[in-house]
Amino acid sequence: MPDFDSLFRKYQHRLLLYTLKFVESESDALDIVQNIFVAVWENGKYRQNEDLVQAYLFNAVKNSCLNYIKHQKVVRRFEHDAALEIKEMEALYYQSGEKSLIEKENLKQINDAIDSLSDIYREVILLSRLEGLKNHEIAQRLNIPVRTVETRIFRALSALKEKMSQKSFLILLCMNLLNAEVDFRKK
Amino acid sequence: MKDKEYIENLIARYLNGNCSHSEHQELKIWMEESAEHKKDFFPIKDFWDLSRTYPDKSEDQLTLFYKNQFEKTKKSKQLWIRYSTVAAAILAVGLIISTLLPFTETSKAGQELFFSVPLGSRSTAMLADGTEVHLNSGSKLSYSSDFSSINRVVYLTGEAFFQVKSDSEHPFIVKTADFNVKVTGTQFNVCTYAENNYSSTTLAEGKIELQIDGSNQNFEIKPGEKFELDRETRKYSLDLADIESEIAWKDGEFIFRNIPFPELVKKLERWYDVRLNYTDEGLQRFSYTGRFKNQETIWQVLDALKLTSPIDYQKTTFREFKLIYKPLKLN
Repeated sequence: MPDFDSLFRKYQHRLLLYTLKFVESESDALDIVQNIFVAVWENGKYRQNEDLVQAYLFNAVKNSCLNYIKHQKVVRRFEHDAALEIKEMEALYYQSGEKSLIEKENLKQINDAIDSLSDIYREVILLSRLEGLKNHEIAQRLNIPVRTVETRIFRALSALKEKMSQKSFLILLCMNLLNAEVDFRKK
Repeated sequence: MKDKEYIENLIARYLNGNCSHSEHQELKIWMEESAEHKKDFFPIKDFWDLSRTYPDKSEDQLTLFYKNQFEKTKKSKQLWIRYSTVAAAILAVGLIISTLLPFTETSKAGQELFFSVPLGSRSTAMLADGTEVHLNSGSKLSYSSDFSSINRVVYLTGEAFFQVKSDSEHPFIVKTADFNVKVTGTQFNVCTYAENNYSSTTLAEGKIELQIDGSNQNFEIKPGEKFELDRETRKYSLDLADIESEIAWKDGEFIFRNIPFPELVKKLERWYDVRLNYTDEGLQRFSYTGRFKNQETIWQVLDALKLTSPIDYQKTTFREFKLIYKPLKLN
């Protein structure tokens, strides 16, 4: 049975990262996560077993984000529409059962995967994600066309996706082998 | 169907560039085309989201959580006490008022709508009466849901340039924290950022009437004039202004003539959505004149400052810089 503080310490950051996928404003995202913890505190759900609490927390984030987006659509109902609708599609995508890497706790492996990228890909990822440069700023810094930066960013992300899915594929393969062995021994 | 590379670049622009409204629309349509597209895009974005290092603030947030919970319980107790003592009085007064005012209307038009522009970007809004409003970085324009071509009232925080649809019978009114501007059909700029210590309006064309909040002082402003109100002293001035530099921002240009360093810093922070920190008092004395186009990056601007004045800069964290005063040494 987890106590509230350690639950908060363990999940607050991950839930915030998750919320920031759908909510642009950092202060709004912080509010959303706080409100979820207020609910967990008040309904005592944090006393349940951790798997259940984790599932509850992530579901609560998805629902809150969807409500937030819907509210934004009513309030703004103007030029940001398409951008908001993309966010909404994304939230629905995860609500339909797809899992983000944040849920699967693969944050560490991502850094390893970034390190193993080839130089030109790692460079654009570090400049954009670590230094916060926009595409045209990277183009200026590296003295290459913006198009090239865009292409590299996309390829770098595709390569990451590839690498990570290979890894999980390997784990899956090992599991299968293990099961096969167990089956074999049973016989 | 657009080719693959075009979509890839569009996605990269969506994630880390300046995606226009029509590009958002394009991406949205592409995603609606098939479930496959969503399966391609969202995991890519997932990697993008997670490759950013983001400071862990959970300790501060936990403290904040307990503080809020504590205040919530305290407040509800206080309120309870206050309610019980005041309730009788309210009841009595309420009865009297309801006998005095038998017909009280309940207004349904209370809903507020707004356009808001985040830091680091600018935007244009077209209102229901045909008025065009350019909103500068970090601004918010709000209006009641019953805004129409006969009820033209808007509220502004931040900076906006209005091109008001001409209608002499129904004035267009801009309300700000400091003053109200009443016009019939003109082009003018209003600047009223909460963190500035002044509020101003500049007229490009036509005629406007201005009323300072909480007073009966009315001003008529002529084209080319700028009205400026000091927030603290409540002193105002009405002078001829440099219209070009006042409203250049709406065309993505940044022109400034002889502005003090602290003001330049504030403008750059809003313009580029960055934090520029400085502690040295020596910097306050400088004033700047210059012209930047939208294309310049913050690095280029800071480099220009470095070249032209005794200033150096350091990047501290994500979109945050420290400006350092480096006095010239003569030896």
